[in-house]
Amino acid sequence: MDDGMMMASQPQIMDSLCVAVAGQGGDGSLTLVTLIARALADYGYHIYESRNVASRIKGGHAAAFLRAGVDPVPAQGHDLDLLIAFDVEAIEILGPRVVENGVIIFDSSSEPCPMGGLKAGVEIVDVPFGRYAVRELRRDLYKNSLGYAVTCAILGLKGDLVRAKMREVYSRLPANVIAANLAAMETGFQVAGNFGYRGGRSRWQPRTLNPTPKHHMTGNEALAFGFLAAGGRFFAGYPITPATDIMEWLEKYLPDLGGVVIQAEDELASINMALGAAMTGARTMTASSGPGIALMTEGISQAGSAELPVVIVNCQRAGPSTGMPTKPEQSDIGLMTQGANGDFPRVVLCPATPGECFEAGRLATDIAEIAQIPVFVALDQVVAQDKATFTLPHMGSLTINRGKRLAGTKGPGGPDYRRYQLTDDGISPWTIPGTPEGMSLVTGNERNEWGHVDTGPDNRRRMMDKRARKLETISAMLPTAVNWGDASSEIGIIGVGMERGVMRDLTSLLAKQNKSAAFHSPRTLWPVLPETLEFIAGKSRVFVIEHNQEGQLFRLLGGALASRSHMTNITRYDGRAFSPEDLFRRLHEEGADL
Amino acid sequence: MTLTFKPKAPIWCAGCGHFGVHTALTHALKAAHVPAHEALIIAGIGCSGSIQNNLNAYGYHALHGRVLPTATGAALANPNLLVIGAGGDGDGYAIGGGHLLHSFKRNPSLVYIVMNNGVYGLTKGQNSPTAGAALTNGEAPLDAVQLGLSVSGSTFIARGFVGWWDQLAALIREGIQHARAHCGFAFIEAISPCVTYNDSYPEWDGKLADISQDKAYDPADRVQAMSRVMRLSEQGKLAVGKILHTTGSTLDQRHNVNAQRAPALQGVLPANNVSTYEAIARDHLV
Repeated sequence: MDDGMMMASQPQIMDSLCVAVAGQGGDGSLTLVTLIARALADYGYHIYESRNVASRIKGGHAAAFLRAGVDPVPAQGHDLDLLIAFDVEAIEILGPRVVENGVIIFDSSSEPCPMGGLKAGVEIVDVPFGRYAVRELRRDLYKNSLGYAVTCAILGLKGDLVRAKMREVYSRLPANVIAANLAAMETGFQVAGNFGYRGGRSRWQPRTLNPTPKHHMTGNEALAFGFLAAGGRFFAGYPITPATDIMEWLEKYLPDLGGVVIQAEDELASINMALGAAMTGARTMTASSGPGIALMTEGISQAGSAELPVVIVNCQRAGPSTGMPTKPEQSDIGLMTQGANGDFPRVVLCPATPGECFEAGRLATDIAEIAQIPVFVALDQVVAQDKATFTLPHMGSLTINRGKRLAGTKGPGGPDYRRYQLTDDGISPWTIPGTPEGMSLVTGNERNEWGHVDTGPDNRRRMMDKRARKLETISAMLPTAVNWGDASSEIGIIGVGMERGVMRDLTSLLAKQNKSAAFHSPRTLWPVLPETLEFIAGKSRVFVIEHNQEGQLFRLLGGALASRSHMTNITRYDGRAFSPEDLFRRLHEEGADL
Repeated sequence: MTLTFKPKAPIWCAGCGHFGVHTALTHALKAAHVPAHEALIIAGIGCSGSIQNNLNAYGYHALHGRVLPTATGAALANPNLLVIGAGGDGDGYAIGGGHLLHSFKRNPSLVYIVMNNGVYGLTKGQNSPTAGAALTNGEAPLDAVQLGLSVSGSTFIARGFVGWWDQLAALIREGIQHARAHCGFAFIEAISPCVTYNDSYPEWDGKLADISQDKAYDPADRVQAMSRVMRLSEQGKLAVGKILHTTGSTLDQRHNVNAQRAPALQGVLPANNVSTYEAIARDHLV
């Protein structure tokens, strides 16, 4: 290699960077991305991480993505500046996404890098990772540490910082494992040197930003933390992709706070364990994905009827049925807003970022107890499992609201206590079992104020109306939409969850062409808030972006309107997120004047 | 004195076995000195699923088949409560059968009373999993006692007969003591005939074998228990009495939950937990 040719251009100032690491499942792509992310975070970059994996433990194409930026990063992004490919399949799938003059680091242990489909000027750094790892390091596993050093040298990151980050990330591993990885990293620096990336020469030059420490969590983790911080102390769940992380995170933290995480025998048990715990006054949550939520629906209806507070998280994946377990979709909107037998009040929140997930976990727990209703938190696989930097609120500033729970061990007081007392706001004061003189009959059957079964028509209407009034009572607590862009634009674009980040990127894309639109991203799916209907009514064209085939959000919003003739649905259901370019093209195809 | 709901008179048919269970349970609660406000009766769906309406305690009407997970959640969230699950054999052995298996395995500290009448009474007489072979063209009935004995985590298994009322009350009382002492899952099957759809009263006296009559029988010996129960079954008989009473790891112990450490009674105001929450937040800094 000719160093002079390689280093012809000045390093590029790093304002944003998209990296992918890809190979076979179990190659450790996620670890490598985590290492790079941690090093970039030290410079003060905002980080966004995501993954694309198969539903298997080892093998199958697996990729991890990292996008860094000087400003908060809204989504994964499509174009790649740098690709680390551990096999030919990774080049075939992701190579075409590498930008002109981008870099591909390729594991050439078994075959050369295929060049077809790559853009002009892409630099190939051929590194026989496998051969180095086996020959010098005696373990294939260490190729990530080797790749980490090569990548960081190309990115122009300081060697000392790169070394310190690896020690930090691996600090809990046995000493001999750390030593072997450090050795692999040093080999990596030598390899990078052989390609001319030494002595301060690199392709990128990082900015030195204000390196304020940031929190770095997935939506699932942030949501679990929000629940815990709101006093959540009981969680029952059953493993299912992509919701299992919530149970695993809570298992780590909840027991130390006197809480319980129980792995049930199925989702029927999960929801009913949650209901049993809720009845005793514990703040309670369960989490699953579409198939598990489908099993839970009878229990959710029971919560609505019996007036028990419970939070249900649905990390939506591609359906129907078992569908595509590791791929994102938003196709349970109907299930969450309308699913389960009978009419009962419920709330469905739909956060879009880790920060909003924390807030949604907290708020859902409060709303559930205040209104004594089931509250869904609707995530999709992208919101649930992508990981981004953000700042959590000050823990000292948090509060909780326990609604009409009658506290204390002395009894409810007053001449009488009726568990289902008819009230103007629809919410009855309640005691928890163990309270003297607070005895109650809790039931999903229609009953009178005392909890005794009563199927008389007058009682039925009174009780149904009482329960229905709760939604009005808590309406002021429901999170409102995030609006941005040009509010005066005739074109409105609506999307929730994973669409939010892409809509943000689309905003930047439009801005480059001096164009804009009005963007509206609800954070409450149900009830549909008046602000969303007003937004739709105020535009001459509205586009509803969503990840499902049938247009479930479109129908939900359209169903609440007198006319939806000016609304257009843009759907996707191939298990992949939109890129801003995809979205721009689709909007144009639908006649958007953008 | 605050007035709460007034227990109702049972709505069962005259002569229903469930009257016997109701009376035995009432006496057992009294004999075990359980304050009314510390008991939580979780009932299933079916004729038996109205028993909570007739008792002076906290009551909950669970979904069909979900008595055990509901009771497990409640007992784990607040171990100060005496949680008593009560339901029928259709509820517990058919639609809820999977949960029974896992409750034997988990050994949560709660009482579960199954009123076994071999029939779905409320839906007018369909066969249940314990219906005798004569009713099912030869399909052998399920024996939940044998099932429980086969799960090595089970700790308390008994069967009573409403016709032998005092023994049933004593078994329930012992079950309550087992659960209240946080020794685990107390399973009590009560043979409780349905006089309308499966009036089996006349058969039981000859079919039931009271193992407590045998002074050599040791309920701590699981192998002997299984062997005795299976041998009796071969002879067309059902074992009655305290069949298994042993010790084992409990769900509450494994979750480090106890009277002082009840999830439902934790001080959850954020202000009381700021330093813990801050430590968790620090774990996620980059």
